[in-house]
Amino acid sequence: MTIGTTRGAPMRSAEPAGTRDEDLLLRVGAGDEQAFRELFGRYAAVAHALAFRLVRQAQVAEEIVQEAFLAVWRNPDRYDAARGSVRSWLMGTVHHRAVDAVRREQAQRRRAEQAAGLGPGIVEDPVDDVLAAIDLPRERRLVRTALGELPEEQREVIQRMYFDGLSQSQIAERTGLPLGTVKSRALLAMRRLRAHLGEGSR
Amino acid sequence: MIRDHALIDELLAIRALDGLDEGDAEQLQRELAAHGECDECRRLEAQHAEIAGMLALALDPRPVREDMADRIIAEAQAPGGATSPAAPDELTGRRGARLGPWQAAFGVAAAVALVLAFVLATRPEAGPPIPGGVIVPFEGAGPGEVALAYTPGEPGALVWATGLPDPGAGKVYELWMFENGDPIRAACLAPSGGAVAASLDADLNSAELMAVTVESSECPDAPTTDPLYTATLDAQ
Repeated sequence: MTIGTTRGAPMRSAEPAGTRDEDLLLRVGAGDEQAFRELFGRYAAVAHALAFRLVRQAQVAEEIVQEAFLAVWRNPDRYDAARGSVRSWLMGTVHHRAVDAVRREQAQRRRAEQAAGLGPGIVEDPVDDVLAAIDLPRERRLVRTALGELPEEQREVIQRMYFDGLSQSQIAERTGLPLGTVKSRALLAMRRLRAHLGEGSR
Repeated sequence: MIRDHALIDELLAIRALDGLDEGDAEQLQRELAAHGECDECRRLEAQHAEIAGMLALALDPRPVREDMADRIIAEAQAPGGATSPAAPDELTGRRGARLGPWQAAFGVAAAVALVLAFVLATRPEAGPPIPGGVIVPFEGAGPGEVALAYTPGEPGALVWATGLPDPGAGKVYELWMFENGDPIRAACLAPSGGAVAASLDADLNSAELMAVTVESSECPDAPTTDPLYTATLDAQ
């Protein structure tokens, strides 16, 4: 685990009040169950929401969360502070596992359709409105506001890529956009989000 | 020397969103390797990762079962699991030195050899079952063959090798997994008669690349020699 001051350290978004995530993770590294439970309590529900948003199967989502936190318990030293906050590391781990699950399922479905002599079925693109909110904690409201202020074409790329788990080429295929356009929109969106969240979260 | 980071910036942004295609992922590894020790690359990577991680907060939290934390701790402490995060026998290791020229190997590794036959032929009768799903052959200039098997989405793997030359006095083979370009120790392997069959606890699901080097029998935390064998792990 690399914790401490680093050159070019990334910005940090606000953490829940109380013990810092990084301190909790250090204690997890020493086998402190209470620290693990506290970290789990802070992020398990968000991680679960993210996994479920992607895989849309309750049991699979739960397994992804469990595996991700098991990996945290077993290997907290994989966290590198120079690469971002503990929360981002956790969410990245969950997102990566969930996207893997989505793409495995897609590949299996393709193979099944090919074996059955069917063409690729029409895949519905559920573009849920993740922006709707009434009473939200500050950070959730902040992130939703930042998403809401993206130009629509950029928000669509973020939504499909991050929240639906589609790859850049899958988005290009489904939207009919050139691949280069998808990639540049993703980058522009991330820059806008950074400008918005970087200011508002400190 | 002033380097252009435009391409790396774009690819890192998309990687943070888990949207990169395989070809671009390999291109990113090559670009990062070409930049070597690059503070700007690390800054961009951290920024994009931070923003991507924050996006999850847009979702309404979804409660988990109350006993999930208990079950995770129990599973970690079960026989065969890590008794504590710092267990010395834990096969996964610590982050080591930056990759540098190692990353160049990333684009080279491609699974072409059919080693399933040798895997099955060398599998001990009473050995652990091969995890289902994926068998990954290694490529390399050295003699012998190396492969591993694992189940996507699950921790654990089996590694097999035949025809390995003696690594030398006081030396062993060390298996590494790479996550985001960083080496993590997966296992130290001491061949017997040139053969190895070992069960790993390591979770390969976030790894992009596996590699084998010759190291001192102390099994260092970071590779000190060039890889002899490499294998790319594709997203399954």
